[in-house]
Amino acid sequence: MNLRELGERIQTAREEKKLSQEQLANAIGCSQSALSNYEKGKRRIYLSLLEKLSEILDKPLNYFVENFEEANDDLPLANLDSNLVLRIINNIYSLDQEQIKEVDLYIQYLLWKKDRG
Amino acid sequence: MMDLTINNYQKQLIETIRKLSEQEIKPFCLKKDFSKTQAFDWHLVKLLGELNLVCPTIPVEYGGLGLDMFTIGLIIEEISVASPSLAAIVETNVHFAQPIILAGSNYQKETILPKLTGTDACLSSFALTEVTGGSDVKSMMTCARKISNGFILNGRKEYILNAPEAEYILLFAFTDPLHKKSSLRGFIIPRTISGLRIGHINEMAVLDYAQMAEIIFDHIEIGPDMILKETEPYSGYFLLTQTMDIGRVLTAATAVGIARAAYEIAFDFSNQRIQFDRKIRNHQAVSHSLVDMATKIEMARLMTWKACWLIDQGDDYTIASAMAKLSASAIAQEVTAAASNILGAKALIKGSFMDRLTNDARMLSTIEGTNNILRNIIASLL
Repeated sequence: MNLRELGERIQTAREEKKLSQEQLANAIGCSQSALSNYEKGKRRIYLSLLEKLSEILDKPLNYFVENFEEANDDLPLANLDSNLVLRIINNIYSLDQEQIKEVDLYIQYLLWKKDRG
Repeated sequence: MMDLTINNYQKQLIETIRKLSEQEIKPFCLKKDFSKTQAFDWHLVKLLGELNLVCPTIPVEYGGLGLDMFTIGLIIEEISVASPSLAAIVETNVHFAQPIILAGSNYQKETILPKLTGTDACLSSFALTEVTGGSDVKSMMTCARKISNGFILNGRKEYILNAPEAEYILLFAFTDPLHKKSSLRGFIIPRTISGLRIGHINEMAVLDYAQMAEIIFDHIEIGPDMILKETEPYSGYFLLTQTMDIGRVLTAATAVGIARAAYEIAFDFSNQRIQFDRKIRNHQAVSHSLVDMATKIEMARLMTWKACWLIDQGDDYTIASAMAKLSASAIAQEVTAAASNILGAKALIKGSFMDRLTNDARMLSTIEGTNNILRNIIASLL
């Protein structure tokens, strides 16, 4: 998801709420052309405005921003367990240099094994 | 309609800082030997503290001056003419305070913001860059793991301004390694917290008066009161981009100050130096070079002012802010190079003011979003 897709979500939520661009622009305190640019992904959107949109359009903040990434950021990691990866990263900080090198060697071994099929 | 009029208060502020710069800041910087890392000297920060300018964005209700970005842009240019590093110290404080002003809880505002005001104002840091990168958020390694009552933070930040003396550090860390951007959270870390260490001090060829260092976060436990937007887990990235987009306009103002300082030195020198029986300023090659410098500085200043004005209006400032920094940093590099050419060998004396300005100008295209990253931002919004 990127700025353009975020804009599309705003437009969808606005239409669900049956608001015109002008009505929503008035409600969030910006011009209609500014709102149009937000919906087209032509203007960066900041937290304070997202919070207003969230309130007026009756959507939780994560409706707009969950999994927000810039273009080309999609990683083929959807099936991984986030908590597990985070625990591994966290634990690495508790290791000393030699142990980190051992972890690195083991990862390289696993990658080598994977490459061989 | 855009209004770039400088009012009486702003004129007075500029005059005060100009006098302080000439009488105190510049002589202090020229006298001091910054060639070796040594304990931070608070003298210049204290001078700004007396004017309540260590963090000029702090709202009046928290003891600050609550200045708008246009006024702060004027101040930063003025300080940068005498000491870009002192300006960088102020900018770092502004960066630190911005997310708290924008999205902090009442508790965070009441307990932290007043500490950045007045004669005893503390310093703070805004920690983003890591060894693995700064421009690419995905390369960030500092992570925060949710626990029942807050987060456990691990990681290292590098090249962090004010770090050796900072009383508070504001940083962003990811909370989900698979969705780094959307899981970014902002944390406020008191210096005294268990597990925080200041690592090596970076010996830099730039920003002589300011200090940069590595900060190590080793299993730091952060309670909910020090998490920005504690109840909004998806808020961090959008708060970070806003902070950066506002803050980089001040780097543009620093660039204008550096360019102006270099131009003024070259201008004065060209009025004194006699070659071929006349002042070199009267040689067309030199006078044209001075004209080009003055013109470029004016361009950079107007772009900076426009971006500041848009920020103050709450209008769309993303592109204007990025363009101002992109353009002003390039202009500062061009002007310091051109000014050095006019000064000749004098510009090459190690530790001379022109030498320092040239070094500081080199830094401008790297900090606050590299110029290539800014081009990416602008391109995505055209």
